[in-house]
This record gives sequence, C-alpha cells and structure tokens, in this order.
Amino acid sequence: MFINILFFSASALVIASCALMMWTKNLMHSCVYLLGVLIGVAGLYLTLGADFVAATQIMVYVGGVVILMLFAVMLTGGKDFQSKTQQLLNLLPSMGNKYTFMWGGGVGLVFAGCLTYFFMHLFKVIKVQEIDNNSYSPTIEKLGELLVTDHLVAFELSSVLLLGALVGAAIIARPRKERPAYIDDIEHDHHHDEEHH
Amino acid sequence: MENTIAGYFLNFPIFQAIAETLGVGLTAFLIFFAFAGLFTVILATVGGFGTIAERKISADLQARIGPNRVGPYGLFQLIADGIKMISKEDIMPRSADKFLYYLAPFLCIFGVLCTVAVMPFSKNLILSDLNVGVFYAIAISSLVGVGIFLGGYASNSKWSLLGGMRGASQIISYEIPVTLTIMMIVVIAGGLSFNTLVEAQAGMPWNWYIFHNPFTFIGFFVFFISTLAETNRAPFDLPEAESELVSGYHTEYTGIRFGLFALAEYIEIFVVSAVSVSLFLGGYQLPFNILEGTLPNELLQFGSLFLKTCALYYVVIWVRWTFPRLRVDQLMSICWKYLTPIAIFNLVGTAIWVVAFDGQSMFQLFFGSGAH
Repeated sequence: MFINILFFSASALVIASCALMMWTKNLMHSCVYLLGVLIGVAGLYLTLGADFVAATQIMVYVGGVVILMLFAVMLTGGKDFQSKTQQLLNLLPSMGNKYTFMWGGGVGLVFAGCLTYFFMHLFKVIKVQEIDNNSYSPTIEKLGELLVTDHLVAFELSSVLLLGALVGAAIIARPRKERPAYIDDIEHDHHHDEEHH
Repeated sequence: MENTIAGYFLNFPIFQAIAETLGVGLTAFLIFFAFAGLFTVILATVGGFGTIAERKISADLQARIGPNRVGPYGLFQLIADGIKMISKEDIMPRSADKFLYYLAPFLCIFGVLCTVAVMPFSKNLILSDLNVGVFYAIAISSLVGVGIFLGGYASNSKWSLLGGMRGASQIISYEIPVTLTIMMIVVIAGGLSFNTLVEAQAGMPWNWYIFHNPFTFIGFFVFFISTLAETNRAPFDLPEAESELVSGYHTEYTGIRFGLFALAEYIEIFVVSAVSVSLFLGGYQLPFNILEGTLPNELLQFGSLFLKTCALYYVVIWVRWTFPRLRVDQLMSICWKYLTPIAIFNLVGTAIWVVAFDGQSMFQLFFGSGAH
C-alpha cells in the first residue's frame, strides 16, 4: 500500500510539474518546476527499489544541474527571452542555415531509431516484478560490484570523459597572462629613446 | 524496518496491542509520523536555542552580558523573538518575483529537515536507516543551496543577488571536500548507512574514526572546515556578509520568512555537527554498556550524541566570533587548492591503510587485540 501511495504521489508531482514547466512563460519558474519533475522521478526510482539511483538523481540534478541552469538562465536574461518565445518561428533563422537543420534532423532521426530499437528490446525481456514492501535488497553493493567487473570499460571511459570536462573547464577559466598594452608602449618609447641617443 | 523507530516501538506491548487492531503497517506508519513530527519540533527548538547560544557566547567572548531580560539568564529570548518574527509585517519588494520569493525559504527549511530522516540519534531512535544514508543526507541538503540562490534572485535587489550567487557557488564547491572526506570513512566502515558507520566505533574513544589512522585525523578538520562553509558560517559567511552586502540573500525578507532562513541555518549547523559526530566522534556510542536495548539506554545514547554535538556547536560559534571573514577569491582557493587536494590525499591514504593493515586502527596496531 505504501509503495502505491509513493507511486501515485510521485507521478502526480512529475505530471503536474511537467505541465506547469511547459505552461509557464518565465524561464526561471520553468527551471524551478523542473526541480519538481526531477524530485518526482527520484520518487519513481524509489518505488522500483532503486535507492542508490534515487539518491544520485537528487545529488546530480538538484545539487548540480538545476543550479547550473538557474545560473545560465539568470546570466543570459530569462526575462528577455520571454517575449521572443511568442514568435518562435522568427527565431529559427538565427539558429543556422538549411545544412545545419538537415544534419540536425538526420542525427535526430538516427538517435530516435536507436532509442526505439533499444526500448523495444527492453520491453520484451524485462517483466515487471512485485516488490516486497519490507525487504528489498540493497542495490549499492551490486552496483559497485558490476561497475568494477562487467562494466569496467564503460566506468573507466566515463571517468575519462569527466576528467576531460574538468581539464577543459580549468583551461577555459585559467587566468591569461597577457601583457598590458601600456607595458608595450613603455618599452617602445624606451627603444625609441635609445635609438635617438 | 528492524533498526528504526517504528520497528523498535512495535516490540512494546502497548503498540503490539494497537497493531492487532490497526494492522502492523498502519501502526508503524503512525509511529513514524508521530516521531517525525516530534523530531521536527525538537530541532526547531534546538535551532531557537541556537540563536540564544550564539548571542550569549558571543557576548561572553566580547566581555558583554548579552540578552538577560526575558526569563532566567535570558533563556526565553527565543520565545520573544519568535513572537516578534510572526507578528512583523510581511513585506515584499514591488518588483520581486512573487512565486520564487515565497518558495525560497521553504526550500531551505525543507532541505534541512529532510536530512533528519537518516540522523542516528541512538541505536534505534532513527527514522529510517537507509542503505544510502550518508549519500542521501548530502544529496537532499543541496536543496538549501537552491533555496539560497532563489532567495537572492527573487528579491530583485543587488545585495541579495550577489549574496545568492556567492551562496550557490560556495555550497557547490565545498560539497567536494565534504563528499571526499565522507568517502574516506565509508572506505573504512564498508557501508553507507549511518548505523553501519556508528556501530563500527563502539566502545572507548580510541575506537572513534578520528583516531583510526593519521588520515582520518586530518580528515576531521577538513570536514569541519568544509561544513562551516557549507552552512555559510563565519569565516565563510560571504553570502550574508554584513559589511559588504547588508544582509546578503535575505536582505529583503522580513518577518517569519526571514525567520525561516535563520532557523534553517541554525538547524543545519546542528544537523551538520551531528553528522560530524556520527562520522568521526563515535556518534551515539557509550563507553559502557548497561541496560542494553531498553529505553533508558536509548536515551543515554541520545544524550551522548547530543552532548558531543553541542560541544561542536560551541566550537562553530567560537570560530565565528574569533576569525575575520575571507575574501571571495581566498574562499575559492582554500577549497580548490588546499581542501580538495588534501581530501583526495586522505582518501588514497586511507584506502592504502585499509588494504595494508587489514582495516585495523592505530591503537589496535600499537596495543594488539587488547585495544578493545
């Protein structure tokens, strides 16, 4: 019964927040509703007995991604965008020419095809199982074991990806040691003076 | 459900009688619900006493008297403050973002109170002994950062915005040394649930994780400094720096909404101190073992945790009134150039220690098996 209550409240939260997120014209509010969606999805993971994935969902999205999005929207001026969304079609030319749209459409089709293929496969194999209310086994030990045995390559590759992102961020944020213009001027004058003498 | 409040109280004859009429599930839920409410009230009171402790201790450090009018020794000041907060006018700036302005304080207090679900107050007085307890606590407390940022943004004031941005960046940055230091303890204990972590520190103080190996000893201080920054306490109180930003992210808030921000901060200090105690200072463990499993023993364990937490709380306030505030660039360089590398070094060192000495602590190595 408790699982049912959790499922219905979590899905109600997801659906309501999703609808509000689409409905609202203020991008800042949209981000906050997205927060509700992500927390609701964490609740849905919990009904499946995936406690670690639920906690990770909150950790990654609430603690990182949503704050990042809020920053991005705030710094790029969420309120100015509000009026432009009225005429979304006018925005299209500014996003690229016909070649970029063609490439984008092609990649989207391939991606959608891949996803459909994988999900068709999933629905055939996995049967939904009843979860015992009081005794579902902890997932974190199994996850840890699988990550360092069967899925070691994927695990290492994703860590390399994250390292790349970190190094890239450090390079972008690195203070540049540019010589101020006035130093050049001073040296130039100095040189000039020496030539004179 | 075995090691939680509901499971513990279901063993009592009274609750077994209730369970026969209402069913076990509903009774367990009712017990859980009652204690969740009780813990919330207790923590709100602790937060209230936090404000008076802050004023009294700061007065003591500056050779003043502090609040002494309401009640004996000024102890009922928090009631007077509470009434004042509730009865003050609720002002909102005209150009503020109404929805976010109302939401922000609730996000803060929600994020703090959600961590209480996994706090181990004693062996059985724990609302829910999740398998991912520590991880959950870190994850859900990051809602506070969202609340602070939204509070700063929605007020539509320059001071608030600067404070909110500082708060969000500070909380995100200092999560990294905190998480790495917690990982170190998790490596030693071999589990993420709070009961696993505290159980392994049973007995005398030398079994506490702070004395487990040299790396955990350093780790405790890294953790303490990082939690000061996570809770926006001085010397890291840049989001509400009075001398530069008026009052930071809650400049425009009045009345009970300001009160919720302040309460969230003081409760968070208590919760974070309790987490430090549970991870490093033995948590609820007692050096002696009497009346095991009975209610008095649980209360003694609760007292043990409470005393240690209050001692740490005192240190937090002491630090605030002793050190000057950092600059923003100093804050970031302390996090990224000092604390994070030290935390990574500690994590690697602890992992090597656990493998090399088979998970034994320093005292077990020095004094053999007689250490226990």
